[in-house]
Amino acid sequence: MNEIDASVPLRAKRGEAQAFIEIVDFYYPRCLRFARNMLSDDQDAEEAVQDAFVRVHDSFPRFREEARFDPWLFGILANRCRTLLSRNRRHRALIEYGEVPITAAAPEEEYGADWAEEVRMMLDSLPAEQREAFLLRHVEDLSYEDIAALTGVRLSALRMRVKRACDTLRARLTRVEQHDR
Amino acid sequence: MIDERDELIERVARALKPLPQGNMHARAQILAAVHARRAQAPRRLTLVLEWMRQPTFSVASAGLLAAAALAIGFVTRGALSTPDERVLPTAASPSASVPAITAANEPNKVRAVPVPITFDAAGAKRVSIVGDFNDWDSTASPLTRFGPNGPWTATVKVMPGRHLYAFLVDGKLVVDPRAPHTRDLDFGGDASVLMVNQP
Repeated sequence: MNEIDASVPLRAKRGEAQAFIEIVDFYYPRCLRFARNMLSDDQDAEEAVQDAFVRVHDSFPRFREEARFDPWLFGILANRCRTLLSRNRRHRALIEYGEVPITAAAPEEEYGADWAEEVRMMLDSLPAEQREAFLLRHVEDLSYEDIAALTGVRLSALRMRVKRACDTLRARLTRVEQHDR
Repeated sequence: MIDERDELIERVARALKPLPQGNMHARAQILAAVHARRAQAPRRLTLVLEWMRQPTFSVASAGLLAAAALAIGFVTRGALSTPDERVLPTAASPSASVPAITAANEPNKVRAVPVPITFDAAGAKRVSIVGDFNDWDSTASPLTRFGPNGPWTATVKVMPGRHLYAFLVDGKLVVDPRAPHTRDLDFGGDASVLMVNQP
């Protein structure tokens, strides 16, 4: 199940505390996954997610009842990630790939730790707006229409960002695979 | 335009998809932060909004409300604020006679850090946190329930360092199941350990 029952955000909007807890419990892992993939730093990712949930809570009066919750939540989270990225860009000139934490379980079993590490490295090397569009589309499985709504970017530009991200990943990872053989 | 998903992109997506483990501390921080905001939410504003929703509410009454708010604002700013509540002139201001005390001009001063606390006690009627940071005072830091069945939460201000604490649940001391325990030498029982870093 990828999306929460539509009644839960509405209950939270009406101020029901239990509904907000359900939202946090349901979305926290997905939000943390997105933030980690965007920021490549555990602490920053946790900060972005916590901040995003507090903002979600504060912004519930503006959440339209007919709107879908997923894009709205990820819009707020993507905003927080962008803010942290620009803050970090000012403070950190170099990100060492070796710092990227690998705490998730499955990919190493399927393709080996090296593959997962390569993927993260390549993802980090993408421009932030391409990485964001790629993650929202192919990892969080949001539709282009949803991503356009939450980022405010035109559909055609968005598709181009995802295409460029895919092209870059494909080219670099293919090279890595050929090199490993 | 076609979607760019092929076998390699599928593999990339699969490598990035595993969900991280839930983090109870982070969850607790979110709920405590939200709870604190709810507690601070101005009840007066809610009452005004409820009044505005009444069928008898009109543009004229909105104007009246705005004028009243303005007048109250002027009066309270001048007449009701105590000297301590007034804004001090800053050091940069030409009229400043006393520099304002800020974090910037006292960079080495150690300050208490707000720490969000949560505790699950579904059937409890009263929960508070006691520790060396509040002199084990059972009335100093009560927790309130977040929602009818939610966890108990509070935010306590604690100086950086190592602290011992426990929860007082309906009069009974209970250690925090999520924190490391140690023997409390002063009271003889077990206590939980809280490490607070400098912000």
